[in-house]
Amino acid sequence: MKDRLLLLGYAIAVVAATSVHNPWWLAAGLLLVAVLAGRQAPTIGWRALRAVLFFSLVISVGYAAGALFGQAVSLDYLILVNIRVYLLIFLTFTLASKIDILRALSFSRNLSYLVTLVLSQIIPFRRLFEDLRLAAESRRLRRLRLRERYLQSAAAAVHLFDRAEHDAREIALAMRSRGFFQPDAPDNAPGD
Amino acid sequence: MHIPDGFLSPQTYLPAYALAAGGWVYAARELRRRVDETLLPRLAVLTALAFVLMTVMLPLPGGTSVHASGIGILAVIFGPWLTFAVVSLVLLLQALVLGAGGITVLPVNALAMGLGGSVAACLGYRLLAPRWERAGLFAAGWLAAVVPAALVAVVLGLQPAIAHRSDGQPLFFPFGLSVTLPAVLIPHAILGLGEGLLTVLVVSFLRRR
Repeated sequence: MKDRLLLLGYAIAVVAATSVHNPWWLAAGLLLVAVLAGRQAPTIGWRALRAVLFFSLVISVGYAAGALFGQAVSLDYLILVNIRVYLLIFLTFTLASKIDILRALSFSRNLSYLVTLVLSQIIPFRRLFEDLRLAAESRRLRRLRLRERYLQSAAAAVHLFDRAEHDAREIALAMRSRGFFQPDAPDNAPGD
Repeated sequence: MHIPDGFLSPQTYLPAYALAAGGWVYAARELRRRVDETLLPRLAVLTALAFVLMTVMLPLPGGTSVHASGIGILAVIFGPWLTFAVVSLVLLLQALVLGAGGITVLPVNALAMGLGGSVAACLGYRLLAPRWERAGLFAAGWLAAVVPAALVAVVLGLQPAIAHRSDGQPLFFPFGLSVTLPAVLIPHAILGLGEGLLTVLVVSFLRRR
């Protein structure tokens, strides 16, 4: 319940943060989120800064450069948009640190099973992909040509597809053997 | 090509959520109709696969590389609705678990990448593949990169007109269409060539066996 409430609170906070256009209110919101993050606030704050820095910098510098071409440039806008972007990412990282995503999605049995399966599959897929990359690195003596690099990427992707098909069949069998799939057709009912 | 959180107005992302929700409901019905009880594990594994495919490096001349999207490959093999569902799930997990992308931009990114990209890829493939199979695959990959980029550029470029103060000062993304369309489309038209090539190679390899 706590996780679902946190998710709902997050959704409301996100809409509020994009509906308020006063930088002082947004700064107050940022302070509030930092308080909620507690002792993790500096870590989350740094992560959030790294996440937004590149895109925000590109947009801000591009916008400020408009002044060179005689366009009206507002410092208020730069402050407003940068605080908002930082607040939203800080909020998301804080939520991610506080919430158990599986419990939050438990209102739907299928959705929570789906997310559980996805999260459990991402790790082996990533490991497999990294293994393939390292294996390819360790077996080459020279820098690969563009064509060879494409063939290598394609071969890795094909292997991942094979693995995905195999894993999907395995998981379906495992779920069936544990009674996950309920018989819904009348001809599957007991006694028919 | 993800739009980061904070650059889209509520006037944009709230209707986009309504539109995307319709798409998600339709996709769920379509998938339930087409696929048997293996749907749930298949969807999960393909979502994990798409998550990792998005980390496959697309080599560029000069030794550099960028991330592939894999949308063209998924669309040609599994069709637009499964691709839309899978890409939406990937974006949701990236937003909630990794903090990448974001919850306000989720429906726009999902509609642009998952639906726009995959429908364009399927159309391009079906149009060309009967006569030129490889050209169809290449078009699928290229369109899967370029069409979402165009949609994202349009949505971003409309922000100054949609949400601004009375004095015209923007409240969200500051640049109009004259900036966003060339800035987003030109690099993606070039990157799309790599995505198209990867789609040709992967799908051809898969079908050869």
